[in-house]
Amino acid sequence: MSGAADFSRRVFVVSSLAVGGALLMGLREEVHGAEAQVRPWDKPNPDGALEFTPWLSIAPDDIVTVRVTTPDIGNGVMTQAAAFVMEELGCSWDKIRPEYASTNRDYLNDGVYSKVAGIIGYFSGRSTGPERMKTYMQVAASARERLKSAAAQQWGVQSAEVIAQGGVLSHAASGRHMRFGEALPHAARVRLDKEPQPKDRSEWTFLGKKTPSKVQIPEIVNGAAVYGMDIRLPNMVYAALRQSPVQGGKLKAFDATAVKAMPGVLAVVAVRPEDNKPSDLKTPFPLGNSRGAHGVAVIAEHYWQARTALDALQIQWDDGPGAQWKSTAQMYQALHQAVERTGGNPEKSVGNVETAFKNNSTVVEATYLTPYCEQAPMEPLNGTALVDKDRVEVWHPTQHSQMAFLVASDESGVPPQNVHFHQTYVGGGFGRRVFGDDVRMVVAVAKQFPGRPVHVIWSREEATRQGRYRAAMASKLKACLGPDGLPAGLKARAAGGPGFSVSGLADTALMGVIPNIEVDSEVVPFHILSGPYRGPGYNSNAFMVETFLDECAHAAGIDPLEYRIKLYGKWGDIGWVKCLQEVKKKSGWGEPLPKGQGRGVAVANWGMRGAVDAGTTVATVAKVEVSRDGKLKILQLDVAFDTGRVMNEDAVRVELEGGTIFGLNMTLNEELTIHDGQVVEGNFDTYPMLRMVNVPKTIGVHFGGLSDAPRYNEIGEPPAGSVGPAVGNAIFAATGKRLRTTPFRKQDLSWT
Amino acid sequence: MSVSIDVNGAPKLVEADPATPLLWVLRDYLGMTGTKFGCGIAQCGACTVHVEGRPVRSCQYPLSAAVGQKITTIEGLSPDSSHPLQKVWVEMNVPQCGYCQSGMLMAAAALLKQSPHPSDDEIDLYINNICRCGTYPRVRAAIHRAADMLAQASHT
Repeated sequence: MSGAADFSRRVFVVSSLAVGGALLMGLREEVHGAEAQVRPWDKPNPDGALEFTPWLSIAPDDIVTVRVTTPDIGNGVMTQAAAFVMEELGCSWDKIRPEYASTNRDYLNDGVYSKVAGIIGYFSGRSTGPERMKTYMQVAASARERLKSAAAQQWGVQSAEVIAQGGVLSHAASGRHMRFGEALPHAARVRLDKEPQPKDRSEWTFLGKKTPSKVQIPEIVNGAAVYGMDIRLPNMVYAALRQSPVQGGKLKAFDATAVKAMPGVLAVVAVRPEDNKPSDLKTPFPLGNSRGAHGVAVIAEHYWQARTALDALQIQWDDGPGAQWKSTAQMYQALHQAVERTGGNPEKSVGNVETAFKNNSTVVEATYLTPYCEQAPMEPLNGTALVDKDRVEVWHPTQHSQMAFLVASDESGVPPQNVHFHQTYVGGGFGRRVFGDDVRMVVAVAKQFPGRPVHVIWSREEATRQGRYRAAMASKLKACLGPDGLPAGLKARAAGGPGFSVSGLADTALMGVIPNIEVDSEVVPFHILSGPYRGPGYNSNAFMVETFLDECAHAAGIDPLEYRIKLYGKWGDIGWVKCLQEVKKKSGWGEPLPKGQGRGVAVANWGMRGAVDAGTTVATVAKVEVSRDGKLKILQLDVAFDTGRVMNEDAVRVELEGGTIFGLNMTLNEELTIHDGQVVEGNFDTYPMLRMVNVPKTIGVHFGGLSDAPRYNEIGEPPAGSVGPAVGNAIFAATGKRLRTTPFRKQDLSWT
Repeated sequence: MSVSIDVNGAPKLVEADPATPLLWVLRDYLGMTGTKFGCGIAQCGACTVHVEGRPVRSCQYPLSAAVGQKITTIEGLSPDSSHPLQKVWVEMNVPQCGYCQSGMLMAAAALLKQSPHPSDDEIDLYINNICRCGTYPRVRAAIHRAADMLAQASHT
């Protein structure tokens, strides 16, 4: 992975492409902020604009276009890119217009965008990563100096005497000033002797200080923002899609005769992935996870016509080997058997576990299980493609634009230079839109109906049953407690469906604070496809590890929060203990509660990969009430976190609220069940989501856990880990019932 | 068959099967894509529009029922994003991915019409739209603030 953008090869381009003013879209006077555009994808530079670098151009009307590679899935990556530029450029916030950077241009120009952050250069996260920060601040500082130099030359003064502020260049001594837009023709000719050094953190006036709302919200609140689902093109047709109900199954036969006569129906097409010749496309990352399923699509003039016709279509499938999994119970039994076996893949070994167990007789042992879960973004999977013989154009809500761009090329056989991919707004991702299997299916359908744009839409049921899920897994954890009550040895064995992960178990701080450890794992060959789901691996393992630690604390007769402080006090990263102390203080921990109520705590870290001062630590305290007949109410949630440092306080708060609710839903509600190899649940009636009434009125987000370690770590995924076990541990405190599997809603919580 | 429906105060001619859900009439036939498809079974509320001022889940509301009714969509909530809810939604950074928010806003606007100062319990009862990003605490706070703004506006 390379670092900042390549400045040695910078070219100055005064665009000659006239497409009208930059102000045409997305500006409304009553909104005093930077704004994204209704159609956020790349456009030619406005007439007379100066492109300082591919990342940044300024138009004569002072509008600053900031190009963003990372799809904004609601996490604010667009806004953060604008904020970096704002800090250095000296422009006005309301003149900034972020838009997505062209993947086609990236391909043609030697990875001009993707060389920043490498294979995740176009991935939808990590807006405050050091490489992105460095790149934006450097290009903005450079543009500012160039503008200052241009003004100085005009005025015959020293560049150092010119100030850039609010989009205006001014010289105090002579009282002269000009707008950025007026300086462009001169700035185009300026070459700097050396690149300016971006500001030191102590000099920041915007980053870490201001908390702008997300730049696309003005386009959202009036319904104008164009998500993938909202693409409307001249001559466009719609497709409704059905794929093999058992994942991995094949299309046997279908009779389209009657359906073709239905209103609006234009075609019925089959998708058989093995019909594709392997492509010789060279890609920076493997495209294997984008492999398609067998399916049938009905194409019609309107979506409802296509959907109605699809529902009438009789399709025969060859279910394939997946059908051997008759029930969820059978699969869970296979997981339980696997954690009882020995051998498998060694994941971690520290000290001597056998000796530890010989020397310490208090043993705690339990088995945990978490099910398959679906990301269920609110925007069902969809995408639009126009395929011609030698050109492909795609409009798509992906979480990885470069992946989608290359998959579109791979699937169509059209070389990347002739593929034009447009990143739309994304109605939620949570990992589901990373692999590019959705864009592959869209192109696979559209290439069979060339010459007209085809908008392929998954129904909610289709999206739910054709997932790339959080893999089901089980763990057996066994600890012996030393004289101080803390684990002296730990044996852990994890087993899960293909794609499960021991992240959050084998790479967490626990491995550094227990002297003797053995972790091994085994994959159970289920046919269900898996993929990233907010905090992959971690979201299951945090539940298991943190429930288990609660059991250890209970066995040791120590308060569970004090137990964790004692245990993680041995870990070199002070963030863990700071977070625990912060939630202890803010949650009212230890204050007496009426019968039927309880508090529980959990702490976990996403992204640390075994290292100190890495990743994001989150501690959560839940206060719950359980009625005698087993009704659960979440009364209070308090969250403390350590990302190191914080760039936009409100953006972090938003993610902690949202991620906590996501993790709560995962724990309380979510489970996909399998019957004869098929996913049973299809929609929100059977795969329920928390609603307003189910979540506490406020979620206490507390900043006292921050360690001030020099990193601005990510915050979207971390809160999904700690809330579930905190609630489970609170239920134990309230009822004495220990919950070792999720979802809780299917378990009897009644007590006497 | 061609029918006329009243959307945001303007008559719109639609040639579609009368059984077509209003959602798809708005989105496909009229190109008004602010109203979102989320579930298709009236569970999530992303498709909420107003019919004669009342919130309706348009994915389960056939075109035939819409004839003769005044329909308001997110595009018609205000001419210029000046509805207090739209303003506080920006100010309070409410949406995350934003996809469900047209429906949230329409549900909230209908609530404020019916109950200008809703209690938390009323909000819980009335706003049962699904948001996967978890914006609920902010939606609640923003409804309260918009209610205050509306009350102030009516006193001046």
